[in-house]
Amino acid sequence: MAPLKSLEQEYPILDSNFQSFCASHDIFSVEDLLLHDLYVLAAFAEQESSSERLKQGIAQVLSIIDGQHQPWLNGIELLEDAQRNKHVLSTGCEGIDLLLHGGLRVGQLTELVGPSSSGKTQVCLLAASNVAKKHIGSVVYLDTGNSFSPQRVTQFICQHSDPAIDQAKHRTLQKVMNNISCKSVFDIFTMFDVLHQLEFNLRSQMQGGDCKVQLLIVDSVSSMVTPILGGSGSQGIHSWHALMISAGYLLKKLAHEHNIAVLVTNHTVGGDGGISKPALGESWKSIPHVRLLLSCDHGGSICNVSILKHPSMAVGKAARFMIHN
Amino acid sequence: MEAKGWISGDESAKEMLGRVLSRARPFLLLPPLHRVPLRPRNVLEIVGPSPSAKTHLLIQAALTCVLPVDWNGVHYGGFDGFAIFIDLDCRFDIFRFSHLLKLRLASGSVSEIDREQNNNTIKRSSIAYDEELYTLCMRRFSYVRCYDSFEFLATLKTLHYRIQKEKAYGNCVHMLLIDSIGAFHWIDRASTCLPLRGSNRKSHSVQTVLETVVQEIRKLLLLHPMLAIATKATLFGNRAMNEAKCRNLRKPDTSYSQIGGITALQLPYREYMPSAWQTFVTHRILLRPSDDHLAVSDDQNHSVYFSEWLLPSLSFLDKFIVKEAGVFLVA
Repeated sequence: MAPLKSLEQEYPILDSNFQSFCASHDIFSVEDLLLHDLYVLAAFAEQESSSERLKQGIAQVLSIIDGQHQPWLNGIELLEDAQRNKHVLSTGCEGIDLLLHGGLRVGQLTELVGPSSSGKTQVCLLAASNVAKKHIGSVVYLDTGNSFSPQRVTQFICQHSDPAIDQAKHRTLQKVMNNISCKSVFDIFTMFDVLHQLEFNLRSQMQGGDCKVQLLIVDSVSSMVTPILGGSGSQGIHSWHALMISAGYLLKKLAHEHNIAVLVTNHTVGGDGGISKPALGESWKSIPHVRLLLSCDHGGSICNVSILKHPSMAVGKAARFMIHN
Repeated sequence: MEAKGWISGDESAKEMLGRVLSRARPFLLLPPLHRVPLRPRNVLEIVGPSPSAKTHLLIQAALTCVLPVDWNGVHYGGFDGFAIFIDLDCRFDIFRFSHLLKLRLASGSVSEIDREQNNNTIKRSSIAYDEELYTLCMRRFSYVRCYDSFEFLATLKTLHYRIQKEKAYGNCVHMLLIDSIGAFHWIDRASTCLPLRGSNRKSHSVQTVLETVVQEIRKLLLLHPMLAIATKATLFGNRAMNEAKCRNLRKPDTSYSQIGGITALQLPYREYMPSAWQTFVTHRILLRPSDDHLAVSDDQNHSVYFSEWLLPSLSFLDKFIVKEAGVFLVA
C-alpha cells in the first residue's frame, strides 16, 4: 500500500497539489485509486484551478496502473511460451507417467490425494530423485511431517546404475543429492516465508545454469493448514480459507512465472455416505490444475492412481504402478 | 422551420431496423448455451461446482468468437472478432485451446467432428487445418492472468485503452470472458483494512472490490458492445444439495416437474456474491455433474453433466458430455 507521496520522486507530476487533491477525495495510495472511478475524479479535477496538471497526473497514474497487472498475451505468444518452457517432467514412476502423458507438467500444480500410507511420500521422493538425476535441475522439498528420507532417495538414485563403478557412482550421487534442498516447514506462515524467499531468489537469479529449480514439492499441504482450523469464531475460519487460497495462488504463480512443476500432497477425510473425499474442502478444489487419487493395496506394493481432475483428460481414468524396494 | 424538422424525423422505420438489427444480432452460441439468445451487453454467469466443465464452455464460446463466418468457402459460423480472456483461476491450458481450435478448423462444422470422432480417434499429428486461419484465430485471442484482485482491477481500468487500440486497427472485440469471478472471494473477505486517515477511505473488502469491478465492466460494455461471460464456482459443497434432495424426496409434491421424461429439480445453490454483482448479471446457467456416465467407446467413459437455465428460468435440463473435440449434447 505505497502512499502517493512515495511516487513523487519518480513521477514529479504527482506533486503535493495532486496529493492534496486526492486526499480531499480520501485517496492516499495507488490501491485506493483502483477502487475509485477515475472518470468521476477527472470531472472533479475539472473544477479545480490547476485542472490541466491534475488531469495529467491522473493520466500518469493510469499508466502506473497499467504496469501493475500481468502482460497481455495473444494465443500465439501463449502457445510459444508453453512449447518452449512448459515441458513435462517424468516422475520416474511409469504408471503415473503414462496416465499423465509424460509426467508432471511445468507451470502446473499437481495434487496427490490419498489416505495415510497410500504412497504419497514415496511418489514425492521418487519424483524428487528422478528430476534431480535426469533433468539436471534442482528440487525444493518442503517437508511438514519429517518424512523426507535421504536413504530412500539414495536407493532410488542408485537403483539403475551399474554397481561396479563405485567412485563415479559416489560422485554422481553427491551431485544429485546436492540438487535436492529439503526444508522442514511446520506451519503455513513459515511456508509463506520460504516461498517468498524462493521467489526473490528466482527473480534475482541469472538465467541458465544447471541449478535452476525445476520441481517444488510440498508434503503435505493439508497438515500445514489444518492447525489453524481451530481458530476462534467465524474470523478464524475466514482467515484459514484466505491463507490456504493465498498459498495456492503463490504456488501457481511460482509454477507459471518461473517454470517450475509443483507437486503437493493432501490427505482424505470422511465425506457424505462414508465415501472419503479430499481434505481442504470446496474452495481448494479449484486451485490445483491436476488432482490424482492414490491408493495402495494392503501390504502389497501395488498402487492405484486415478484422475480426479485434469484440464484435458476425462475424470476416472486410472493406472496401476509398483514402487520397487 | 425548427418545428417542421422535429416532425419530419431522422430516418424511416425500415432504415432504423436495418441499422439496429445489423449491429445487435443475437449471438447463437453452441449447446448447452443455445437455448437463450444472447446479445451484446448481456452478462451471462455460468455457475457450478468444481469440476463441471465451466471453463470448457468458456473456451468454446471464445472459439466461436474468434472464428470467421466463412473462409475459403468453408462455413465456420463464427463471430469474426476478438475475444478477451481474463484468467483469475490461473489454470488455463493453451494446449487444450489450440487442439480444440485445430479440430474445429479441420472439420468446418461441429456436427462433422462428432461423426468423425465416433468413427475413429483423432490423432494430434494428423489433423489437416488451414495454417493461416489458425494463426489468425489464435492472434484474436487476448489473454491476461490476475493473481489477486488488485491486478484484476488494474486490468479492468486499462482495458478500455487496449480495446480502443485494437479498434484503431479495425478489430472488434465481441466477448469478454472471466474465469472465475469468485476466485478472490475468500482472500478479499478476510482482508481487513484499518483506515489510517479519513473515515471515508474505501476499505478493500469484497463489497467495494466487486462494486468497482461491476462499475468498470458496466462502463466497458457501454463503450464497447460485447457479450460478457463469467464463470463462478459454488463455494459451498454438495451438502446443501444433498439435504435439498432428501427434503424433496420426502415431500413429492413440491418443486418437481416432469417435461419429456427429464425431471427438473430446482436444486438450490448458495449465492455468495454481493448484490452489486447479482443484479448486474442478466443471464445465469447452472451446471452440475450427474451420477451417470456415458460409455462412448471401450476405454472412454465420459461423465454426464446437467445444465439448467436459472435466469431466465427454463424448467428443463440439458445433458452434455465433454469429449476430445469439445462439449456435445446428449439426447
